[in-house]
Amino acid sequence: MSAPKVSIRQLGICYAGAPAVRDVDLDIPKNAITAVIGPAGSGKTSILRTINLLSVDVDRAEVKGQIRVDDRDILAGGVDRVDLRRRVGMVFATPQPLPGSVYDNLVYGPRLAGTRRRADLDALVESSLRAAELWDEVKDRLRRSAFLLSGGQQQRLCIARTLALGPEVVLLDEPCSGLDPISTFKIEEMMRSLRDRFTWVLVTNNTKQAARVSQRTAFVLLGQMIEQGPTGQLFTAPKDPRTGDYVEGRFG
Amino acid sequence: MNARAQRWLAPRRAQALARFVLWSLMAVAIGILILILAFVLGRGLRHVTWTFLTAMPLDSGRAGGVLPIVVGTLEVTALGVAAATPLGVGTAIYLVEYTREGRLTRIIRFGAECLAGVPSIIFGLFGFVLFVLTLGLGWSILAAGLTLAFMTLPTLIRTSEEALRAVPARYLDVSLSLGATKWQSIRKVLLPAAFPGILTGLILGIGRAIGETAAVIFTAGSSLPHRIPRSLSEGTRTLSVHFYQLAREGISADNAYATAAVLVLAISLINLGAYVTLNRFMRRYR
Repeated sequence: MSAPKVSIRQLGICYAGAPAVRDVDLDIPKNAITAVIGPAGSGKTSILRTINLLSVDVDRAEVKGQIRVDDRDILAGGVDRVDLRRRVGMVFATPQPLPGSVYDNLVYGPRLAGTRRRADLDALVESSLRAAELWDEVKDRLRRSAFLLSGGQQQRLCIARTLALGPEVVLLDEPCSGLDPISTFKIEEMMRSLRDRFTWVLVTNNTKQAARVSQRTAFVLLGQMIEQGPTGQLFTAPKDPRTGDYVEGRFG
Repeated sequence: MNARAQRWLAPRRAQALARFVLWSLMAVAIGILILILAFVLGRGLRHVTWTFLTAMPLDSGRAGGVLPIVVGTLEVTALGVAAATPLGVGTAIYLVEYTREGRLTRIIRFGAECLAGVPSIIFGLFGFVLFVLTLGLGWSILAAGLTLAFMTLPTLIRTSEEALRAVPARYLDVSLSLGATKWQSIRKVLLPAAFPGILTGLILGIGRAIGETAAVIFTAGSSLPHRIPRSLSEGTRTLSVHFYQLAREGISADNAYATAAVLVLAISLINLGAYVTLNRFMRRYR
């Protein structure tokens, strides 16, 4: 593997003194999809939310270790949050449109980043909606409330909204957990088609989803990294018996 | 089966009874409201003429109109709300977004709740000592407005805080994740989402301020104005004080009820305006 885009070393995360994640090492290669799997409460989301420091700023997590994004350790302090979050975008577990129109949602980030010209914003809206394969469905109702879209459309809108930031890394926190199989399929298709353009980190409860879309998979259990490697290998020839048990559905 | 049969009221009949009792309670509550409104408007409205609304009071209020009193009332109320809003909303934002739940927030909240229960005449006394005497503002619209601001502050803090807490926590997550700072998130997402609740608090505040009597007598005075106030340092008499004086001194029962009717109408109009604003906002925002 060439130099990873994100490299996590000895990551520890505590909430009010209670450890949630211990000594996690994880390498996330550039322009590929890395899946993080594990049972609920194993610390997957905590790891993900620490890559853009939301856990530190919102959940008041105490973190130690290193997370290098392009060789810059973001846990070292003094990191520009705004810049980091534009480079490391995030999509949440349930669709989270902000109140306002489809258009308002998409231009929220770019406007804050200083894009003011109407033509630029329009172009960005179209390109990010096309990337999320939502353009044809919503092009005639960009001015309507985002809440009027279906759940699956809302989630693709949220993905488009993240892509509109022009991120390098996209963090997906169980993006399909509340969606029907067809919406899930559309999102997986979109990830496949955009795989080479971003560095994806997909946290999922659905091991089959990890097997379907990711190139690398990491298995986390009780806040510890059990095993990571190429997805095919992890699913067919796991090194740790617990990995095998989990991916075959024997627990969790 | 046996136990069920022995119940003195079957669930189905209890349901019907509950419905009837609740309906009756509602009817009594609404009935009292309608009775009060009908009483005030019925006695007052027929004396509310164009002249009454646009003329200066004459002969201690026995004749003439209430124009300067209406203007004074609106100025005092507007000033009170204008001063209370930034203080109240700012405090609520601080409590919700910038501090952890702890001893300090509990003290602030407890203090605000105690303040909400303090009778208005105490606020009047405080306003009199602080604004009228110590700060030398005299009996004035300014002193009364600031006193009313203090009075409406607790309610405003409480309702704004509830409104901000009711905003889904995920909005902050989303906004931050899109490259917004905390303050940008508050300004662009949290405050608009909490606006309807904050506006409800404002309406309650206006309601409390516009009809206030005791606190205003102490701070704006009660002498009858004979011209429209030209500055905030002039004293005034508010509608409710005017009503009190006319009725208490037996000056004119007709004009007293007319004044009450004007006050009730003014409150209704302000509330109506607020709800129209709210509806417009919701349509644009959703």
